[in-house]
Amino acid sequence: MTIINRLKSLFTGENDKEEKGINNDVSNTSDDVQVTSSQIVNDDVVSGTKTTVPRDPVVKKKPEVDKKDLTFKSDIKPLEETANPEKIVEKVKEITVSVEETLEGAKELRIEVEKSAKVIDETPVEEETVEETSEDNVEEVKEDLNKKETKRDTMTLLTDKELLTDSNRDPDFTAEFIDAGIETVKHCFQCGTCSGSCPSGRRTPYKVRQIVRKCLLGLKEEVITDDALWMCTTCYTCQERCLRSVKIVEIIKKARNIAAHAGYMAKPHKMTGVFVMNTGHGVPINDATKALRTKIGLPEIPPTTHAYPEALAEVQKICKITGFDELIGYDEATGGLKE
Amino acid sequence: MEIAYFLGCIMNNRYPGVEKATRKLFEALDIELKDMEGASCCPAPGVFGSFDEETWATIAARNLTLAEDIGADIMTECNGCFGSLFECNHMLKENEEKKAEINANLAEIGREFKGTVEVKHFAQILRDDVGFEKLASLIEKPLDLNVAVHYGCHFLKPTNTIGIEEQAENPSILDDLVEITGAKSIDYKDKMMCCGAGGGLRSRDLDVTTSFTKEKLDHMTEAGVDAIVNVCPFCHLQFDQGQTEVNERYGTDFAIPVFHLAQLYGLAMGLSAEELTFDAQKIDATPAIKKALGE
Repeated sequence: MTIINRLKSLFTGENDKEEKGINNDVSNTSDDVQVTSSQIVNDDVVSGTKTTVPRDPVVKKKPEVDKKDLTFKSDIKPLEETANPEKIVEKVKEITVSVEETLEGAKELRIEVEKSAKVIDETPVEEETVEETSEDNVEEVKEDLNKKETKRDTMTLLTDKELLTDSNRDPDFTAEFIDAGIETVKHCFQCGTCSGSCPSGRRTPYKVRQIVRKCLLGLKEEVITDDALWMCTTCYTCQERCLRSVKIVEIIKKARNIAAHAGYMAKPHKMTGVFVMNTGHGVPINDATKALRTKIGLPEIPPTTHAYPEALAEVQKICKITGFDELIGYDEATGGLKE
Repeated sequence: MEIAYFLGCIMNNRYPGVEKATRKLFEALDIELKDMEGASCCPAPGVFGSFDEETWATIAARNLTLAEDIGADIMTECNGCFGSLFECNHMLKENEEKKAEINANLAEIGREFKGTVEVKHFAQILRDDVGFEKLASLIEKPLDLNVAVHYGCHFLKPTNTIGIEEQAENPSILDDLVEITGAKSIDYKDKMMCCGAGGGLRSRDLDVTTSFTKEKLDHMTEAGVDAIVNVCPFCHLQFDQGQTEVNERYGTDFAIPVFHLAQLYGLAMGLSAEELTFDAQKIDATPAIKKALGE
């Protein structure tokens, strides 16, 4: 698997694409975007997840190039401008816009395109063909669509290669959101204001619009196994701007709850839980701060669970009542995690 | 006036100068801060809220009952704590079913959530309960400082439930509170953007978090500020410690000192840099403090 394919799989979650024999149209990897596999986050962080998230693979070498640029670059190799990522991004934007203009009329062709995707992939595509696309030039439309699909990640379910049917849907998953009082999940009309506003979406594979849609459709496995679900900082910008008043952050948190109960939890997060169970604090006091507190005339130990063992016992009991200890795999004997 | 003072974790356990400044400020304002003895983590919304809502709500509700026992509204100086405690309080007051569920858990530790107090943010209390005039009277010497105000996320949003500002994306509360000290709030690009630490992202993926922070620091630098002012110890930590992490990762040399709003008021009221524990912060605040005090 080439580096670009790997990067791409991180965005699309289709890390087994190569094995399935689906051509990616990214074989002409340019040398200047090579990153080493060691810069990709290793799988140890979270057990059992399908995709991984790049740990900012290029910033050390080229802070001005972000991950999306990498994907774009390989796609538009023929432009002979690969040395300047900014120009390329501009260029790709132009192409993307023109592709979108042709998308409506071309939807019906999609199934056919899927079938012929492999053949088309081997055909070199010039950027001019995008501009010249017309209804009666079917072949070129196919090429554009194919190019677009590999270029724009999977912005909506419409571009997913895998055909999803009712068998992929888990109505109980959708019901969990409704039962939790997040009926607004049904109000989303996929305008994309959320994704357009999302600071995390600018730098990670996190696509909030897509997650909302998947939650409504009941695509449970797709939602909970994707690491990108955890790239949200819960900043609420999406929810503030949502034209349909969808409680987007509630949806994300609920989806995370379901993921966590299915075993998808990062170790550092579990450790925060361990700290709270051991001390009552996610960030417990240390010797340096004790000295600092004394120096400025505050009590060495703050009047919290740190100073009141019986209060800590209450917090610990709560975690047992709710099963939080078992959820994260807390080991009472060692005060750490089991395993 | 009495207020139940919720400490949280990061302020008291990492940046005690913020706590010191707050206690001094409220002493001067003649408002009694009652310690919520035995309070715990709020708990952290990014982990507890994301892992198990029931645990999150029960621990948060336990903290709320401590204030109910005191019989005073809660004040917190952390957006994360504010988010957790406000949201839980709001939810349990609005939703009888949830309230019964959580109270069943609390009964096992001999507690009950009644819904008799409000959760307020430090900055909200300064604006609404204290007022700008009274605050201005405490300023000994106006500060000469250009600052980038960082609002953070869980202070004003979601607007329709919190309601501190009508438009959370175009607020003025912190800018107003900063300018009372004589400091000037400088506008900068994407001012309302997140620092990157929240939602459990900092502990899970520091590189992504750092990338958020760098974007903010770039925009603050372009605007030419002397310091960052925030109202959240987690954002504070992210801009202080996180700034060194940005410099390590990107080879940059950002050095913008970080002030919690309480520290800014402490400085304007004549507290020393040591009392405000600026000497323990990663980014040297000495140049900004000297400029602010006209030294």
